[in-house]
Amino acid sequence: MRDSWDSLPVLAQDLIIAGALLLPLLVIGGILLRGFRPLPLVRALMWRFRWANLLFVLLIAVSTGMGIGLIAQERGLRTGSAQAAEKFDLVVTAPGSELTMMLAAVFLQPSAVPLLDGAAYDRIANHPQVQIAAPIAFGDSHDGAPVVGTIAEFVTYLSDGQIEGRIFARSGEAVVGAAIDLRIGDRFTPAHGRGSGADAEAHDGVGIEVVGRMARSGSPWDRAILIPVETVWEVHGLANGHPFEDGDRIGPPFTPELFPGTPAVIVHAGELWANYALRSEFTVAGETMAFFPGTVLADLYRVMGDVRQAMSVMSIVTQVLVAASVLLGLFILTRLFQRQLAMLRALGAPRRFVMAVVWGYGVTLLVAGTMLGLAFGYAAALVLSRIVTHRTDVLVTATITWAEVNLALGFLSAMSVLSLVPALVVLTRPVVENLRQ
Amino acid sequence: MALPLEIKDLEVRAGTRTLLKVGDLSAPAGALIGIRGPSGAGKSTFLHALSGLIEVRGRLCWGEVDLARLRPERRTAFRAHNMGLIFQDFLLFEELSPQANAGLSGLFRTRHDRAPIATRAAEGLARLGVPQGNRTVGSFSGGERQRVAIARALATDPGLLLADEPTASLDRRAADALIEDLTGLLRAGGKTLIAVSHDAHLLERLDRVLTIEDGKVTDDTGVQAA
Ligand SMILES: Nc1ncnc2c1ncn2[C@@H]1O[C@H](COP(=O)(O)OP(=O)(O)OP(=O)(O)O)[C@@H](O)[C@H]1O
Ligand SMILES: [Mg+2]
Repeated sequence: MRDSWDSLPVLAQDLIIAGALLLPLLVIGGILLRGFRPLPLVRALMWRFRWANLLFVLLIAVSTGMGIGLIAQERGLRTGSAQAAEKFDLVVTAPGSELTMMLAAVFLQPSAVPLLDGAAYDRIANHPQVQIAAPIAFGDSHDGAPVVGTIAEFVTYLSDGQIEGRIFARSGEAVVGAAIDLRIGDRFTPAHGRGSGADAEAHDGVGIEVVGRMARSGSPWDRAILIPVETVWEVHGLANGHPFEDGDRIGPPFTPELFPGTPAVIVHAGELWANYALRSEFTVAGETMAFFPGTVLADLYRVMGDVRQAMSVMSIVTQVLVAASVLLGLFILTRLFQRQLAMLRALGAPRRFVMAVVWGYGVTLLVAGTMLGLAFGYAAALVLSRIVTHRTDVLVTATITWAEVNLALGFLSAMSVLSLVPALVVLTRPVVENLRQ
Repeated sequence: MALPLEIKDLEVRAGTRTLLKVGDLSAPAGALIGIRGPSGAGKSTFLHALSGLIEVRGRLCWGEVDLARLRPERRTAFRAHNMGLIFQDFLLFEELSPQANAGLSGLFRTRHDRAPIATRAAEGLARLGVPQGNRTVGSFSGGERQRVAIARALATDPGLLLADEPTASLDRRAADALIEDLTGLLRAGGKTLIAVSHDAHLLERLDRVLTIEDGKVTDDTGVQAA
């Protein structure tokens, strides 16, 4: 049983779950409606109470949409941020908060971070298991976009080699992210600092030429300008990591004594399994700290998950309250229609028909509300994703999965069972009493 | 098909109170009978008993069928096939067209019955001069509404028509026109009518008038118009 279920394709499983959730609704509908045509009367009820109905549909839609949007958004944020951090196996920084360091080094959020010195970098770069040890030097910006100093190898690694134009080959050249509004051949002068405090004149006279553009990655690096780390140092009047005899050479190896410092080093190990050893090796009390951005994110997701859980509970409570008020509303509205319904019985309509009308009316509202709710949820997730993507450049895509659809269907089905209550209540009062009004 | 009525020791009670007591009463199929009496006398109660909407004791036979011995759902089915009901305030679905209102019974009858009901509804509306078209009955006058209600009651081709104050909500002219059309239609179809009414114009067009007072039939002018 278990095995044959597991062997089914995921879509088939989802469809089966959806079917099972809808089963109560379909069974009740089948039993109540068989042989009858309550639709004209349901329509009459819909029209008679149109404003109240609209309100009910919106209430159901908003409460359903809230829950769905929340789940979809959180999942989008998880996958988006995980993808954005994918290339960053191991980050080495000065000791401090892993979260702050990760936000600065991986998500390029502006923050003041202490530097690692040349000796520390040298130790990392020369480790036999380390394939790439990329210094990441940030602090400057252009037009709001961070200007990040690093090495050519890292740019190639980051973009999977998908670069239009070419990689920077000497100091004063730049490769831009896909979202940067500069073309190949353009020149710009970086501003000192980022955001509103940036000083546009500090680096006057410095001209950097764009020579390449990376393919879109869905990470904040799409809005980054990458230049040789040497350029960053030179612009700030520091040594550039190389002795004069080396001329204009850029990239590693660097001379430790001439290495002005870097806030972070991104490490890519030759073999995946080496990462754990490297992390402990590069974690030196009081000197360096090494961490996996993936682990930091996982911790963050756990917190997000808790928040989501709390919000989910609230949204379920909301949904239950909405359900209760809709049922109460149905109850009151059908009371207003009670004489007509009694007249149906007087004309010889079976009880089941009257139930079919009342239930059909309730379920029409529920189905409309739920469908609209799915649309609302999707729209909400879409808008939120846009906002997050715009603010952070972490590409967040909103998707509605079967989990959300099934959540909504479960709610719908449960409510359709509860809608039998007003339908039954209508039948409890004797026909004659209702006719007398 | 119209059915003869036969009542023996009929009693309707609510709790300990006796609302209605009718010893002997019979009427042939196709009779047009009026019922009058003061308010609270039990006229509507009698009509409800005759239509099987309430529990009764004794014998209440339409043809071979004794409603007093049928379970409620069986009485409902009997009503569906043999009776049409008309109310003082019409009880139409304002949101629906006259045709949809008149054909209402088709919504819960078998597929087989649907087409004839729709056809008879349309015929009835035409015969009663109800404005055609897709207008809903919400915009109809009282007289027009009661005509739609009559077409609805007759759409299932019942043998019996039970009416509670059918002209009470209409002005004189509309009431007279309606009385004319209704009695004509019923006589032509050989249908039985039992109508509670205070309207002298209606009562004088019927075969027989019963007076109910304090839950009893106190007068029966069965021979008057025969
Ligand atoms: N379920 C009930 N329980 C107790 N008393 C009832 C019940 N139904 C009706 N009655 C009483 O029975 C009496 C007869 O009622 P009914 O409606 O038949 O009067 P009616 O002759 O139709 O009066 P009207 O001309 O005002 O319509 C009234 O006094 C009414 O209050
Ligand atoms: Mg009455």
